[in-house]
Amino acid sequence: MRVQAIDHVALLPLYLAAGTAALALFTGRFAKACMMIGLSAAAIAAVIVAAGADRATFAVGPWHSYWADDAAMGAAALFAGLSVLVAAVSGRQPGEYWFLLAVSAAGGITLAGARDLITLIVALETLTVPLYVLVTKPGRDGAEAGVTFVIASIASSATALMGAAFLYAAAGTVHLAGLASNLGSADPALTAAGAALLLGGFAFKLAAAPLHAWAPLVLERAPLPIATYLASASKLGGAVAIIWVVYFGLAAGAETSTGMVVAALSVASIAIGNLGALVQRRTVPLLAWSGIAHAGYVLAPLAVVATAVGQEAASAALAYAVFFVLLEAGAFAALTAVRPVAAAEGRVSGVGEGGAIGELAGLWRSAPLPASVFLFAVIGLAGLPPALAGTFAKVAILEVLAPSAVWLAVIVAAGSVLGLAYYLPLARTVLLGRGPATGKGRFAIAVAAIGLALLAVTVAPQAVLDFTAVSR
Amino acid sequence: MLLVAVAVPFFGAVLVWAWRERAFAHWLGVGAAALSLAAVALLPIGRGDGNWVITGGHLSGGWWHQLEYEWAPAIHLDFALAVDGVSWPLAALTALLGLLCCLHNALGAEGRTSAPLQVPVATVATGGPSLAADDVSGVPGQLGPGVPGGAAALGASGSFAGAGAARPSASLTALLLAVQFASILVFFADNLILFFIAFEAVLLPMWAIIHRYGDPAARRHAAAKFALFTVGGSLVMATGLFVAVADTGTADLGAIIVGGGVGSGVSLLVFTLLAIGFAVKAPLWPLHSWLPDAHTAAPTVGSVLLAGVLLKLGTYGLIRIAGGIAPQGAADAAPVLAVLATLGILIAGLVCLSLPELKRLIAYSSVGHMGFVVLAFAAGTEAGIRAALFGNVAHGLITPLLFFLAGALKARTRTGLLGSLGGLRLAAPQLAGLLGFAALASLGLPGLAGFWGEAFTVYAATERGGAWLALAAAAAFGAFLAAAYLLRMLRRVSHGPIVPATDGIGDASTVELAVWAPLVAGTLLLGLMPGPLLDLFGEGLL
Repeated sequence: MRVQAIDHVALLPLYLAAGTAALALFTGRFAKACMMIGLSAAAIAAVIVAAGADRATFAVGPWHSYWADDAAMGAAALFAGLSVLVAAVSGRQPGEYWFLLAVSAAGGITLAGARDLITLIVALETLTVPLYVLVTKPGRDGAEAGVTFVIASIASSATALMGAAFLYAAAGTVHLAGLASNLGSADPALTAAGAALLLGGFAFKLAAAPLHAWAPLVLERAPLPIATYLASASKLGGAVAIIWVVYFGLAAGAETSTGMVVAALSVASIAIGNLGALVQRRTVPLLAWSGIAHAGYVLAPLAVVATAVGQEAASAALAYAVFFVLLEAGAFAALTAVRPVAAAEGRVSGVGEGGAIGELAGLWRSAPLPASVFLFAVIGLAGLPPALAGTFAKVAILEVLAPSAVWLAVIVAAGSVLGLAYYLPLARTVLLGRGPATGKGRFAIAVAAIGLALLAVTVAPQAVLDFTAVSR
Repeated sequence: MLLVAVAVPFFGAVLVWAWRERAFAHWLGVGAAALSLAAVALLPIGRGDGNWVITGGHLSGGWWHQLEYEWAPAIHLDFALAVDGVSWPLAALTALLGLLCCLHNALGAEGRTSAPLQVPVATVATGGPSLAADDVSGVPGQLGPGVPGGAAALGASGSFAGAGAARPSASLTALLLAVQFASILVFFADNLILFFIAFEAVLLPMWAIIHRYGDPAARRHAAAKFALFTVGGSLVMATGLFVAVADTGTADLGAIIVGGGVGSGVSLLVFTLLAIGFAVKAPLWPLHSWLPDAHTAAPTVGSVLLAGVLLKLGTYGLIRIAGGIAPQGAADAAPVLAVLATLGILIAGLVCLSLPELKRLIAYSSVGHMGFVVLAFAAGTEAGIRAALFGNVAHGLITPLLFFLAGALKARTRTGLLGSLGGLRLAAPQLAGLLGFAALASLGLPGLAGFWGEAFTVYAATERGGAWLALAAAAAFGAFLAAAYLLRMLRRVSHGPIVPATDGIGDASTVELAVWAPLVAGTLLLGLMPGPLLDLFGEGLL
C-alpha cells in the first residue's frame, strides 16, 4: 500500500493552531501571550497560503478531504483573528481557558478546509466541545447555560451524524465532491432525508431556526467574552459548514430537497428571529435573537444555490456571514469592554452580564470608543449607511436573490425593516440616552482593532468579497 | 467639480461634527454648503454635446461630466458620478436649500424656538400624529437640546451672548450637511448600487434630525414611522434594482437607459418594485402617511429639507430610474399610477380643507403637489415628463419657503393652530405678504413657478385623450381645491383682527429675509422664464 504525500504547507495554519493549543496547556502564566501569538501566526500563515496557488491534500481518487483555497484560508484567518480578539477582551483567566479557546480555534481552522463529511463533523465538534466548559460560569445560571448548550449541541450533532449516514448510504462516499457526482443517481427519499437532517443539525451552530432556542439563553448566561466567541467565530463555523455542504456536496445532486430545506430554515429564522428580538429589553438577548434573523439572511441565498447563479449565491452567503460575524464581534467586544468590572468578576447577582438596554444610556459620553464601535456595529447590522459593511452584505445577498427568487428577496427586505424597529431604539439609547455612566471602557486596543477592521471592510469591501468568492 | 460638489458636504459634516462645540462650527458648515453650491453651479461649464454614445459597455458623450472609480466590482458597485440636464437642477436645488438651512442655523434665525415649543402631548390639532401617541411618556426627560448639543448650545450662547439668539446646536448643521451629501450623491449617481447606497444614506441623518430636534411631543413617533416607511420602500426598490442589474448585466445607469432598459419579460416586475419603493418616498397615495407626521414634527430646517430634497429623491427616482430602466413597464403601469396620483391630489385637497394646523396643512399639500408630478410622469408624453420635472423643481422652491414662513410664524406665536391665528397682515405685514406670495405660488398662479408644472400636467393628461380626460378634469379640480385651502389658510392667518397670539410679534428680520430671498427670487424667475429649465430637461437622458 502506497502512503500518499501530505501537503504540509496547506496544513500549516492548522499545525500552528494545534501547536498553540498544546503549548497553552503547559506554559502557565504565559498561556495567554502564547495563545495570542500562536493564533496570530496561524492567521498570517493562512493568508500566506491563500496568496499562493490553491492546495489540496488527503486525496481519495480525484476527491480531496482538505482544500486550502482562498475562501477556506480566508475563513481560517478569520477564525484565528476572532479568537485572538476574544482572548484580548477576556482579561485574566486560568490557564486552561486559553487551551480550550485555542482548541476551539483549531477546530474552526480545520473546518474551513474540510471537504468531506467526517472531517467536517469532527472539526465542528472540535470547535464546539471546548465551549461546553467555557460557557459555564460558577453558579446556577452558568450551570443552566452549560447544560442547555450541551444538550442542544449533542442533539444536533446526533441529527447531523444521522443525516451524514443517510447521505453515505445514498451516495457511497463522504467526500463532498463525491456526493456531488453520486447523489444524482441515488435514492431521492434517502437523499432528501439525509440533506434535511444534516442541514438541520448544522443549523444549530448557526443558531438558525428550528434549533435556535439555545442561543438567547446561553449567550445571556455565558461570560461576555465567550458570548462574543459564540456570536462570531462559532456562528461563522456553522455558516461555513452549511455553505460547504450545500455548495460542494448537495447543490449538484440533491438540488430540489436542499433548496426547499434551506429556504424553509431561512424563512423560519428570519421570522422567528425578528419577532423575538422585537420584545427584548436586554442587550444580549436582543443581539442573540437578531442573530437568528441574520442566520436566516445567510441561508437565504443558499436556497437558490442549485440554479445558474449557484456560485454567486454561495459567495454571497459566505460574504454575508463574514460581514455579519465581524459586526457581531464588534458589538459584543464593545459590550464586553464596557460591562461593569463587578460583573466581570462574577460579583453581580442576577441573570446576564450584558444588562438591560437602558443601562447603555449615556455610554456615548462615558466611553466614546466602545460606544462608537457598538453604534457602528448596530447600524451595520441594521444594514444602513454610514456603516456600509452591513449595507454591502445586504446588497450582496439581495443581488443574488432578486433575479432568481424575488419572493425570498422581499422576505429578506421585510425582515430588515422589522430589524430597524429594534436596532434604531438601541442606537438611540447609546447615542442620546441620559443615564448613569456605566463605567469606563476597557480593552481599548482590542476594541479599536475590531473597529478598524470594520472601517476597513466599509472602505474596501472588495477585500472581503474577493476571498469569499468560492471556487469549484 | 463633480467630486467637489459631493465631497465637500461630506467632509463639512465630519468637521462640523468634530468641532461641534466650537463657536465657528456653524460657519464652517455654511462655508462647506456654499462651496458645494458653487461647485454645483459651475457644473454647466464645459458640458458635453448631448450625443449619447456607448463605447465598450460604458456611456460617453452625453453626460456633462462623469467620473468613475472601481469600488467593489464583485457586487457591481462603482463609484460612478455623472450629471446632465435632468439631475443638475435638482442637485443645484439641494445645494441651495442646504446652504439656506445652514445659514438659518448659523444666524439663529429662529432663536426663539430653541426652547421646547409644546409640552403637552401632541394631537392632530397641535401637529401630532392622528393616532394617540402612546410612546411619548418619556418626553419630559428628553426636553432641551440633545446630549452633545447641550454643551455646544451653552458654548454658543456664551460666546454669542451679545447676539442674544440661542442657536440650535452645530450637530444639527452637521446632520443637514450629511443629508445634503447623500442627496447630491443620489442625484449624481451613475451606478445603480451606488444610487441605492446613497438613497439609504439619507435615512439616518434625517431620522436623527427629526428625532433629536423635532417637536418634543410628536417626534419619536414621527421619526420611527419615517424610518420604517423609508427603509421598507428602499429595500423594495433595491430588489427591483438588482433584478434590473441581473437582467442587463451592468449597473451603469446611463448605459442601461440608452440600451433601452431591461428586457420585456421583467420590465413590469422591475417597474412595479421600483415604483413601490419610490412611491413611499415621493410620496404617492396611499403610501403617504409618514409624511404629514414627519414634516410636522421635524424642526423647520428638517421640514425644508424633507419637502425640498427628500420628496425629490422619490420623484427623480421614479422618472429617471424607474422610467428609464423599465420604460415598457412604465407604459404598462401608467394607468394605475395615474389613478393613484389623481386620488392623491383629490384626497390631499379635501384633507387640507379641514386641517386645523399650519405646518400639517403645508405638509399635506405636498402630497397633492407630488400627485401632479406623478400624474404628469404617468401621462408619459414629452410634455408630461417635462411638466413632471418642472413641477418637481418648482415644488422644491415653494414648499420650503412655506415651511420657513410657517416656522417663523410658529416661533413667534408659539402656535400653529389656524383657529388661534389672525391679523398677521396688521401685526407683521412683511411676513404676511411673503406668506401670501408663497401661498399663491403654491396654488399655481400664472407667472409664478407653481403654474407651469400643474398646467402642463393637465395638458399632458388631456393630450392622451379617452379616460385620461377624466383624470385631467379631476386633477384640475384638485388644483381648484388647492386654491380653496390655501386661500382659507391665508384668510385665517393674515386677515381679520389681531388676536392675542399675533399681538406684538416682530416682523420678518433682515436675517430671515436674507435666507428667504433666494427662494422668492427663484420662484419668480422660474415663473416668468420657464424656458431655459425646460430646455435643460430636454437635453437630459430619459
